Amino acid sequence: MAEINDHIQQFFMLESGLRALIASILVGGLCGLLGCFLVLRNMSLIGDALSHAILPGIVVAFILFGYSTIAFFGGSVIAGILSAFMITWMQRNIRVKNDAAIGIIFSFMFSLGIIGISWLSHHEGVHLDLKDFLFGNILAVEKADVILTLLMVGLVILMIIVFYRSLFVTSFQANLANTLGINANFIHYLTMLLLSLSVVASLRSVGVILVVSMLITPASAALLISDRLPKVLISSVILGMLSAMTGLLLSIAFDFPPGPSMAVITTFFYLIIMLFAPQRGLITKWKLKRTHEMREVVEDILKLLSKLTRPKNQTEKITLSDLATKSIHPTKKLKQYLRKLRELGLVVDDQDSIQLTNDGIQRAHELIRAHRLWEVFLVEKLGLDKDQIHEEADKFEHNFTEEEIREMDESLGYPERDPHGSPIPRRS
Amino acid sequence: MKLNQSYPIRIDGLSVAYNHKRVLTNIYLKIEAGLIYGLIGPNGAGKSTLFKCILNQIEPNTGEILLFEGTDKKSLTRIAYVPQKDEVDWQFPAIVEDIVTMGRFPYKKWYQSMNVFDNKLVLESMEQLDIVHLRNKQIGELSGGQQQRVFLARALCQQADILLMDEPFVGVDAKTEEKIIQILKTLALQGKTILVVHHDLDSVQNYFDRVIMVNQRLIAYGDTSVVFTKENISRTYSSQSTLLQKNY
Repeated sequence: MAEINDHIQQFFMLESGLRALIASILVGGLCGLLGCFLVLRNMSLIGDALSHAILPGIVVAFILFGYSTIAFFGGSVIAGILSAFMITWMQRNIRVKNDAAIGIIFSFMFSLGIIGISWLSHHEGVHLDLKDFLFGNILAVEKADVILTLLMVGLVILMIIVFYRSLFVTSFQANLANTLGINANFIHYLTMLLLSLSVVASLRSVGVILVVSMLITPASAALLISDRLPKVLISSVILGMLSAMTGLLLSIAFDFPPGPSMAVITTFFYLIIMLFAPQRGLITKWKLKRTHEMREVVEDILKLLSKLTRPKNQTEKITLSDLATKSIHPTKKLKQYLRKLRELGLVVDDQDSIQLTNDGIQRAHELIRAHRLWEVFLVEKLGLDKDQIHEEADKFEHNFTEEEIREMDESLGYPERDPHGSPIPRRS
Repeated sequence: MKLNQSYPIRIDGLSVAYNHKRVLTNIYLKIEAGLIYGLIGPNGAGKSTLFKCILNQIEPNTGEILLFEGTDKKSLTRIAYVPQKDEVDWQFPAIVEDIVTMGRFPYKKWYQSMNVFDNKLVLESMEQLDIVHLRNKQIGELSGGQQQRVFLARALCQQADILLMDEPFVGVDAKTEEKIIQILKTLALQGKTILVVHHDLDSVQNYFDRVIMVNQRLIAYGDTSVVFTKENISRTYSSQSTLLQKNY
């Protein structure tokens, strides 16, 4: 651990280390922000495509201006926009599937770029490291790169503020745009322009291949935890910055390559959110379902207890073995369910005797009432047969409030008996 | 009918083809203000295409559409469009209030925020459709009827002069359907123009002042009581090939 600390300390002693940290946090936030709109507009793959398609722009810029950060930047943006135009043009004018058009253009542009780079190194004797473009080289980030990235962040934020409503409408439903006075086409190309700029700004840190991860993973995670667009944007930015920073620190500590390290961390965050998100998380959903099932089982046992009690005196005690002979559940499980009923204050039990509390008697009463009313409903309103209804009613009886049951009672005209002839208890 | 009457929508010789396949042929229509129009026809008859042309999302091959007797694109913001249910991304991170507020967007420059008047209108529109208690719900959590009411509330909030609705009663409960029709009738009385794509032939007589029956061409058009006859219905819904045979 101490050794790792040393590693990190040494790293940030250097100015380049600090630059790398700032650059990656900026890139994480930038991609997180813009990524939300990409994901919402079903354009995730375009992010991937544009990042690959800028390579020939860099080659041309090198031929014309030599090794210059500004020239690379300009060349990349032009190549990106050009590809965006070609993709959109194909999608609108040629009979081609949307994702196929993306695939055709980006692989073509990427290949051109690679041929260009290898030609440069063979014929001009210059060495442009392809690996740096593919996977990023955050340690080589220069001051000019940081300033450019900062400018891009400013520009993207400004554009999102100015065009927020237009972006909202066109991401939600492009075909409403006209009637709300919005030029959907303009917004489409604006998004493409901002995307190209952001991708180019991110190249140094994560590289062509993994920039898509920074664009769409934090945004997808943010969509799982927020239900309004502003909240989605903010969560995505925070997640993006956190992933980039954590990824970079881990890469320094353990000597991982920084780009992939960031991509793995952002996916890790996504996974956690996918599992534990308050409403949409898998585990949350599973827990809810379990509680629900548990309630149904426990309430069925309550009903059974009430039935066992009735022939005798309401206050007489029932033994666990009484219950066990009538129930489909094994004794061990029954004990667990009884504990739950006791926690809910519906029964009191000691060593071997069980007794319903007043609340328990009341709830059992409600359940029986709901069950029998449902049976009437299923026969009279849905025309089901008498022998089909018991299981259905068993399911429904647990899931409705007293108020809803009362409404159903009213709409059925306050029936006296259920289809099997058993009396329907009135509300107590 | 008065001479020189001004029409909210005038369609002059409209034809549309996709990939050399004709979708709409030679449509002429004059839509009057203050009436509810039912747009009737089988699937693939070109009803949605007609809407898209009015919304300027498709360039017609021939003919033109005049809104308020002009071609100014700004007139488009005088239309409120209530989309078909499956056109909407119900997972989108927006709550009911966000959607209704969209109706105020055409009135705002980017630096102008919603003011007291806008907020009052948003609230009133939600009140009219009984969705105030749902204002903070994400749109995907609503029932079919509630979803439709949200979009109608947005249209009200937009205070548009023309209302285009694409199958608003699909997946909607009877109560909501009645409520929507009542609101449409009130709007018509206020002089708004309402066009509804509709499928349930049984309710046409009760719902619409006029019907437009299309099947790639205009089959019949006029007062519902006059035009909505058995003969016209069967002509509208007969297969397109027989139509072609008749024409050649």
